[in-house]
Amino acid sequence: MARSLWTGSISFGLVNVPVALFSAVRDLDVHFRQLHEKDGAPIETRRFCSEEDKEVPFEAVAHGYEEDGKKQVVLTDEDLAAAAPRKTRTIDIEAFVDLEDVDPMYFDHPSFLAPVGDAEGNLRAYRLLVKVLASTDRAALGRFVLRSKEYLVLVRVRDDRLALTTLLFHDEVRPTKGIDTGGRKPAKAQLDATVKLVEALAVDWDPESYEDHYRERLLEVIERKRKGRKIVAPESSSGGREGPPPDIMEALKASLERARSGEGFDLAAEDDDGSDGADGLEDLSREELYERAQKENVPGRSSMSRKDLIDALSD
Amino acid sequence: MARSIWNGTIAFGLMTVPVKLHTATESKTVSFREVHIDDGAHVEHRRFCSKEDKEVPYKEVVKGYEVSDGKFVVLEKDEIAAAAGDGAHRIDVEHFVDAGAIDPIYFAKTYYLGAGDDGGQAYRLLHDALEKTGRAGIGRFTFHDREYLTAVRARDGVLVLHTLRYADELVPGSDIEVATPGRGPGDKEVKMAARLVDTLHAKFDPTDYDDEYREAVLSVVERKRKGEDIVREEQPETDDSADLMATLEASLRGAKGGR
Repeated sequence: MARSLWTGSISFGLVNVPVALFSAVRDLDVHFRQLHEKDGAPIETRRFCSEEDKEVPFEAVAHGYEEDGKKQVVLTDEDLAAAAPRKTRTIDIEAFVDLEDVDPMYFDHPSFLAPVGDAEGNLRAYRLLVKVLASTDRAALGRFVLRSKEYLVLVRVRDDRLALTTLLFHDEVRPTKGIDTGGRKPAKAQLDATVKLVEALAVDWDPESYEDHYRERLLEVIERKRKGRKIVAPESSSGGREGPPPDIMEALKASLERARSGEGFDLAAEDDDGSDGADGLEDLSREELYERAQKENVPGRSSMSRKDLIDALSD
Repeated sequence: MARSIWNGTIAFGLMTVPVKLHTATESKTVSFREVHIDDGAHVEHRRFCSKEDKEVPYKEVVKGYEVSDGKFVVLEKDEIAAAAGDGAHRIDVEHFVDAGAIDPIYFAKTYYLGAGDDGGQAYRLLHDALEKTGRAGIGRFTFHDREYLTAVRARDGVLVLHTLRYADELVPGSDIEVATPGRGPGDKEVKMAARLVDTLHAKFDPTDYDDEYREAVLSVVERKRKGEDIVREEQPETDDSADLMATLEASLRGAKGGR
């Protein structure tokens, strides 16, 4: 189990449950290090005082606050610590709110809470909170302090555990004023046709079916380079910045026909690495083909026969 | 007028909707510069070669991926960009899903979409169709040399775009060990706790919650500006609960009394 980011307790009313906080997101990004081109040695960053041109040890670094037209104010770590005078080891639940009232835009960083220790009373209190939140569509709203910063948080249930997410504050979400939201109310026939097209292209949300192509391609590039092979950048497309179709109704109708006949649309973004060509598809079982179709996100794959899958995959 | 950070086209079927991407969220966390405590001068981060112990100008810095301990594969900037995708200014919507079925844990960052040039009518159509069906369009697009999976949905008259986390980036609950109590909470306790939840129920209004920490930091800044001494108050911490039922009852009395 990963290391906890924080330990403390969650309290609602007078019930206090010791918990530990674990991130619910793992960093799978491909990270690079800065190297010195000449000798390949890693680059280190060192702090220097811009005035004295001398190296500054970490303990001698303070926090400068600047505001237009005012003199800089310098705060030490201790000064800053004074800004978090509230209890730092407690998640205080202030209210229970309806989950549907919280716009997902406010969700920031997700994590899990797990009970600490084996004390029977604590484990039961944790279970109780899970049970109660799972049985309503409500979430607990509270505040807590992590690394001296206070967060507004929502606690709900996910995978039978308490899941905590930090929330943005209301003034961190910009107003939509000034965003061009298009023209007049659309004509009914056009809207009906768009709704039909949306429904014709609808599938169940299946998060497992999407893979990070960018990460895969980046690792591929690294592997190729490691073997001393040449990296050819794909033609950078300047296209794609298209206007609306000349005849919207015509485009909607034609799209709907194609979607219904299962013809599909030539989505240039799909399968652009060419590594999964048609070669050998004939030798694969339906299960194996289905797995590939899943990987490539072939729409309607679950109802396809073996032959349909081969056709779809060799497109 | 809000400035756009990307212009392109949402494509679904043969439909194309010209759009402009706008920032929707911004951190208001009070930010500081690193300064030298002795003289208040800015601290600069300078690059040094770890082998030569000499400062390295930026143009001599390359990016390396560590393949094994201390062994790096060096990549040029355009080699990294080769992985970004074709850079087309398109959001290719592959399909539509029930927007409510996407757990918000998948949403990473949110942007607003505005209508692009000549796109007013097409924009309105997509917005109204998504609003009516409660669906979100799932598609990929390339932004700042990186491909993102995104969900486009209607929100209060505006199309919003959420970049999505991939399923393998999320820690499954099963990775988090939770011990089971010898005896689970009884019906009576669950009922009592449910009543406590009801009593503390409130309609969520984000404007009810201000960033008190931000205010506290700014007030410390002002006090320091005036030359005041900053002293930290200590707060006692509360005890863990021993008798669950008694505590619930006491909480319920307290919650009711307080309202």
